Amino acid sequence: MRRHSRRTPAATAALAASALLLSACGAPDGGGDSDSAAGKVEGQVTFQTWNLKARFQKYFDGVIAEFEKKYPGTKVKWIDQPAEGYPQKLSADAAAGTLPDVVNVSPDLAYPLAKAGLALDIGAAAGKYRGEYLDGAWRSQQMPGLSGVYAFPWYLNTGPMFYNKDLFRKAGLDPAKPPTTYDRLFADALTMARKSDRRIAMLAGAPSIEDFGRYGVRLMDARGTEFTFNEPKGVELLTHYRQLYAAGALDAQALTAVAESAGRKFQQQSVAMNPGSALDLENFKRDAPGLYENIGITDAVNNTGKANMYVQGLMVSADSKVKPAAVAFAHFVTDRRHQMAFAKQVAVFPSTKGSLDDPYFTKEDGTDATRVRVAAAKSLKTAVNYTPVVLSDQMKTVLRNAVARALQGKQSPQEALDSAVAECNRLLKTG
Amino acid sequence: MGMRNAAAAVAPRDSGRRRGIRTHLPTSPWLFLAPGLLVVGGFSLYPFLSTVAHSFTDARTLRAGRFTGGANYQEMLHDPMFWTGLRNSVLYVLGVVPPLVVLPLLLALLVRRSVPGIAFFRAAFYLPVVASVVVVGLIWVWLLDDRGLINALLEVLGFGRAGFLSDPWLLLLSAMAVTVWKGLGYYMIIYLAALAQVPRELHEACAVDGAGPVRRFLTVTVPAVRATMVLVAALSAVNAFKVFSEVYLMAGAAGGPGGEDTTLVMLVQQAGTGLSGRVGYASALSVVVFVLTLGLMLSVLRANRGEDR
Amino acid sequence: MTGAAGRRRRAAGWSLAARYLLLLAVLALTVGPFLWQLSTSLKGPGEDIYRFPPSLLPHHPTLANYAEVARVIPVWDFALNSLKVAAANVLTNCAGAALAGYALARLRFRGRRVAVVVFIMAMLVPVESIMIAQFMTLRQLQLHNTLLGVVLPGCIGAMNVLLMRNAFAALPYEVEEAAFVDGASAWQRFVRIALPSVKGTLAVVAVFAFMGAWDDFLWPLIVLNDQSKFTLTVGLNYLHGTFADNQRLVAAGSVIAVLPLIVLFAGLQRYFFRGVGEGAVKG
Repeated sequence: MRRHSRRTPAATAALAASALLLSACGAPDGGGDSDSAAGKVEGQVTFQTWNLKARFQKYFDGVIAEFEKKYPGTKVKWIDQPAEGYPQKLSADAAAGTLPDVVNVSPDLAYPLAKAGLALDIGAAAGKYRGEYLDGAWRSQQMPGLSGVYAFPWYLNTGPMFYNKDLFRKAGLDPAKPPTTYDRLFADALTMARKSDRRIAMLAGAPSIEDFGRYGVRLMDARGTEFTFNEPKGVELLTHYRQLYAAGALDAQALTAVAESAGRKFQQQSVAMNPGSALDLENFKRDAPGLYENIGITDAVNNTGKANMYVQGLMVSADSKVKPAAVAFAHFVTDRRHQMAFAKQVAVFPSTKGSLDDPYFTKEDGTDATRVRVAAAKSLKTAVNYTPVVLSDQMKTVLRNAVARALQGKQSPQEALDSAVAECNRLLKTG
Repeated sequence: MGMRNAAAAVAPRDSGRRRGIRTHLPTSPWLFLAPGLLVVGGFSLYPFLSTVAHSFTDARTLRAGRFTGGANYQEMLHDPMFWTGLRNSVLYVLGVVPPLVVLPLLLALLVRRSVPGIAFFRAAFYLPVVASVVVVGLIWVWLLDDRGLINALLEVLGFGRAGFLSDPWLLLLSAMAVTVWKGLGYYMIIYLAALAQVPRELHEACAVDGAGPVRRFLTVTVPAVRATMVLVAALSAVNAFKVFSEVYLMAGAAGGPGGEDTTLVMLVQQAGTGLSGRVGYASALSVVVFVLTLGLMLSVLRANRGEDR
Repeated sequence: MTGAAGRRRRAAGWSLAARYLLLLAVLALTVGPFLWQLSTSLKGPGEDIYRFPPSLLPHHPTLANYAEVARVIPVWDFALNSLKVAAANVLTNCAGAALAGYALARLRFRGRRVAVVVFIMAMLVPVESIMIAQFMTLRQLQLHNTLLGVVLPGCIGAMNVLLMRNAFAALPYEVEEAAFVDGASAWQRFVRIALPSVKGTLAVVAVFAFMGAWDDFLWPLIVLNDQSKFTLTVGLNYLHGTFADNQRLVAAGSVIAVLPLIVLFAGLQRYFFRGVGEGAVKG
């Protein structure tokens, strides 16, 4: 039936991992063997990236050739997975014991793998490298309830808020003064909706966990064992959003929006503000020239003084047969020189100490792209990854549904958040 | 009445079963069946046994489970999302099966006769079937968006905009419409294969009798392809009950605002996906989906057999 | 020419015109929505693809996006892999489903009803719940990361078996009677008489099998590791950039993916209109 169910493909179809979990390999502390990375750097290392081959083949071929030359007797086999279905691919490989030696993961993917004993504790195996990385980036690879660090920090990203000056102007708002506080943001959003007769919304999406984080809501207790986003600050944020939704200041489709659909709304110019990254400028120019002429750039509003960042890492499989070589290679790819070179290929940011002080990230040259890059690099020095690594996809759905019920007025913000916290805690405890 | 019998005589639905052919070595049916049984047994039914086993545990994607008895099933009964999903899956069957049984048949009749350029039309009508569901989702989201083509049209005509992608009920209806749209060509070709076995003389005989097209359709065509209509009803009912992609692509991963448009299979995916997936709970949901679709399929087939007598 | 004949011809003319009108109406409904994708794939850089109201005609039509797709990914290698997988899937499904369907419809034996129910149950197993188990089986067979592994689990679909059973069951009993009297074996009757009579349904199974293999994404993604073995749907996914989506390339990719299927369908469609008439009974 698979061949004919018109349901399976693509973006979406995720698989409910059935069956056959890991055999006896790896007790939860299986990655802790600190001596395993010692030894001669040799053998074939399988290196898996996430959707980088199509654009950066040359860069990686170079890195690999250099590594093989530096360590004679090593060979790196590079495989690259396409954009969609990455968690499913990892699930199947983890279950069948076919994980590659070095794997590109974000912290939320690394956490379950580390917890299952499938990720090598880098802190124990290669703690000597810790000093090379930004503190925040290194810490973002720590996992609550586990003692180690389970991936080398790799590239970072963060972004500004883009806004549409033309829409601001039409709503009687000053296009040179985008909101910098939440109070202003909410007030401007209501003005925008009123002046446009609910046709133009300020924001495209309902608040996600990072919005709660940015607003200054305490998401979890200090030990990372319980969710706490139903505290008064969280209720306050949700109450504001509820007013926005009722007034038409959030897009009508906000309750089902995802990053892509929000981006589309912004490019269609039916939404006036949207978060993005330096890479988006290129897209606007090519796909929505009308918007590009009117693009405004500002910092994302927050109450904490810390921007949100996205982190990628390189994990080493605890079952790797060539641990010394795998660790050496993962470090090689993420060392300062190679991260810097990669950051110059595409607008991402290195997680190594000192790299962000490079003139490339500090000197403006008058173009928008550089301006965005410089501002992002500056904010990254203190940025944090607000999304707790223990927040699973299932918990994200719980939160999303609770937020939707509150915005629609089916539940009070307090009730909605209380029930979401209770459900997330239950999922966390039984995990 | 006579015409009906004539149609039944040329297209006996189950002659093999009734009259049977016995002259063969006792093993040969099993030799015919062996490859098929091996593949579906080894790659569908056998793995499903582990799903059934998992449904009684609290397994996660990366953690073997402990036996928890019927806890997952109990949780399901108390999970409001399960009931929402069940309601939507049932509504989906009721909404899409009738059009998917009738419209593809009419379409098959329309393209059946050879007229110049017909090959082009036939292939074009099949396009929605072969296009990937992601592309189809993208297109319809674009069309049905608040600022999409269809709302622009409604506005020009003075109806005002409709929240096809924001109102939970309209979202469900929109997803059904896309399912029907994408299913037309699929079931059309099943009908075409069946219609090819209805002798044309029958139609001509009727036409000479002075029967109009509607009467000919009801008295000749429908009885002749009744077995196929039942098959299409069963297949489309099962597919509708297990709907996932259309709702996912139009209403988002959570299944509409607050999950109000979620379906049972979406719940399976939500529960089981990812490295922290709740395999135990997702398996229990899968087992329920399996049992309900089996019941649905068998009852459609049985209803047909009952009518036969 | 008699008046009656003239009237009949005029009536036929009207009915032909009505038929074309209907065909065109359905055409607009089924193909219309795709024009947007086609148009996006032909738009040059700097054209606003999000403007409202949307413009369907590209201002600077270009095929550059298609060339770019071929530059970014080895699209022909991917297509060749897909073709291999799809062709194998067609062969195994046609053969396996016809054999099983014939036995279920035309042969009488103990356990036949049970066998039908087995296929119905197999058809209803929710695929998403068994994928990892299937993958573990493949690994035990050492078939992971091979195209054979991609084909194997779906190589005889239960629904195709049921479709073939339905087709064989609809054949008049008389079709086989003569051969039966001649003492032909079940195999001979199957090959010489029954099979040629169900060409239409075989073509349906072929199209479904080809389409299923061609469109499948998640299973080949899980089975295959080496990019050199990727199928087209998996490979086209590389067009969704990690850092930036180019809608024009994605649109061009989806056109590339759909074209072979339409060509295949156009080539096979005439078989759907053949049935008993052209089969064994008369010829």
